[in-house]
Amino acid sequence: MSGARTILTPEHVEVRLAPAGLGRRFVALLVDAGSAVALAAAATLPFRYLLPPGVTQALFLTASFVTGWGWHVFFEAYRQGRTPGKQLLGLRVVDGRGLPLSLEQALVRNVVRALDFAPVFYGLGALACQYDARRRRLGDIVADTLVIREGQAASRLGEAGRASEWNSLRTPRVLRLVRRRVNVEEAELLLALSLRAPELADRARYDLMEEVARHYRAKLELGDLPISGPALVRGLAALVFWDRRSPARRGARPPA
Amino acid sequence: MSVEAFVRERQGRWKRLETLLDVAESSPDWELGTDRLQELVRLYRQAASDLNEARSYTANADLLGRLNHLVGRGYRFVYRRRHGERWRAGLRRLFAEEIPRAFRAERTSVLLAASALVLGAVLGLTAVVADRANGERLIPADFFTESPRERVERIESSDERIESVGVAAAFGASLYTHNIQVSFLAFALGALTLVGGIAILFYNGVILGAVAGMYWLDGVQGFFFAWVGPHGALEIPAIVFGAAAGLRLGQALWLPGVKTERAALREALPAVARMLAATVAVLVLAGLIEGSFSQFTGRTFPHAIKTAVAALLFALLMAWLFARRGEEAP
Repeated sequence: MSGARTILTPEHVEVRLAPAGLGRRFVALLVDAGSAVALAAAATLPFRYLLPPGVTQALFLTASFVTGWGWHVFFEAYRQGRTPGKQLLGLRVVDGRGLPLSLEQALVRNVVRALDFAPVFYGLGALACQYDARRRRLGDIVADTLVIREGQAASRLGEAGRASEWNSLRTPRVLRLVRRRVNVEEAELLLALSLRAPELADRARYDLMEEVARHYRAKLELGDLPISGPALVRGLAALVFWDRRSPARRGARPPA
Repeated sequence: MSVEAFVRERQGRWKRLETLLDVAESSPDWELGTDRLQELVRLYRQAASDLNEARSYTANADLLGRLNHLVGRGYRFVYRRRHGERWRAGLRRLFAEEIPRAFRAERTSVLLAASALVLGAVLGLTAVVADRANGERLIPADFFTESPRERVERIESSDERIESVGVAAAFGASLYTHNIQVSFLAFALGALTLVGGIAILFYNGVILGAVAGMYWLDGVQGFFFAWVGPHGALEIPAIVFGAAAGLRLGQALWLPGVKTERAALREALPAVARMLAATVAVLVLAGLIEGSFSQFTGRTFPHAIKTAVAALLFALLMAWLFARRGEEAP
């Protein structure tokens, strides 16, 4: 995961924080902005019939200002870094050390929104996100905060697993062999290799896959199969982790 | 141990931790109770060690992702800072103690920001007094539709613009929401670029000085002080405070000295946030004054009274923020 930040807890356990992408943050922002305006309008509505128009206008201006700026500060500081929009999209703002935001951090990161918003709808903020390794907008940089995507690892297995839809290895014979001869360690190796393959250089990946494929060709007696090493490894990984009711599939559901 | 057995054996307590965290994140501590709180901390420690163990023999992204997420959540809860103070007491303490203390501690940044503005104002004033044509060069054309003398005569002889509370409130609200956003921008520029914050203050100082110079040349400086004074006495310092808070944060970001950038930022944040809170509060008050009291002509409130109010407001602001309190050591 590019740009992931690793923090070490006092128990000496590493926890990885995956920065959220721009798309999700943008949608979350639209949800939050819409809700804040709606809230301001709803809060002012009853006063329309009670107070002079000028005062109502002042109230609405103030209410939309307070909700517009205060919405994020309140939810981020008092609701574990999640505004309703962020919650909807599985995002959370955390302190740079993985802890909850302090009120001060929430205030500062949202005040700098004034600059992130410039020159038109978050132009500067988006640019900063694009060039920062941890996808931080200017407010995040100054307040040392980070917007993370929760439970991202789960979706990556999904991608590896999707290969099974057109898997030429899915024949009764190979399935039977896989079930009988591939042990847990070997299954884990297949998965690790499939997941990490995109990070390797082309040449290294091909060589590694060929070598691993040689092992499985011998073990599963697949020498006659006209298929490349990388395709064999990916196909087997998909069989093991998707078709078979494997431990990984049964035990570890993606976080709800 | 196989992955299957590992998961089977421990997922019960992961689930329990998840449930406890759900409760803990959405309700105050007392609702969870001491027993469940202790259980949560114990389960968190176990989950952390499970994560370490799992990493040593599996690359299963589903399992590691789930555990990582769970331990991350637990970590955030267990090592958070406590906050549970009552709103009203907190607010009182903020305005009575914390804000003045922050300003006194950060007076260097306030002084730096104020100097930029004052320097600009002096230059603007001098330039206009030396050559009246400079006024037209320095002041944006939008502000420059008539000469100060014509403007004073027109305003002082026409009806009062503020004829009801409604008009004053609407005008005041539009003024302070706008001014607060401007101060946020000055803050952000200061924090991210340092120089940008100083430049924006200097530039505003130049315009302010130039406008004052024009009124002075026309011999209507009394009107200028009476019209700008009552809100300006708060508004101008507030913009300076906002920018000063930005400069303080920018100093931590760009010039952290021997500290790490993160440590410097964290050290600066409490004072910076308090200075921002003061900026917003003062700008709201200034906006309300600008929308009402400042708009009255000399027929309703003589210029001398308006100028005196301005001086009083400025003195009160300075006393609130910078006067030394008895209990503090120098």
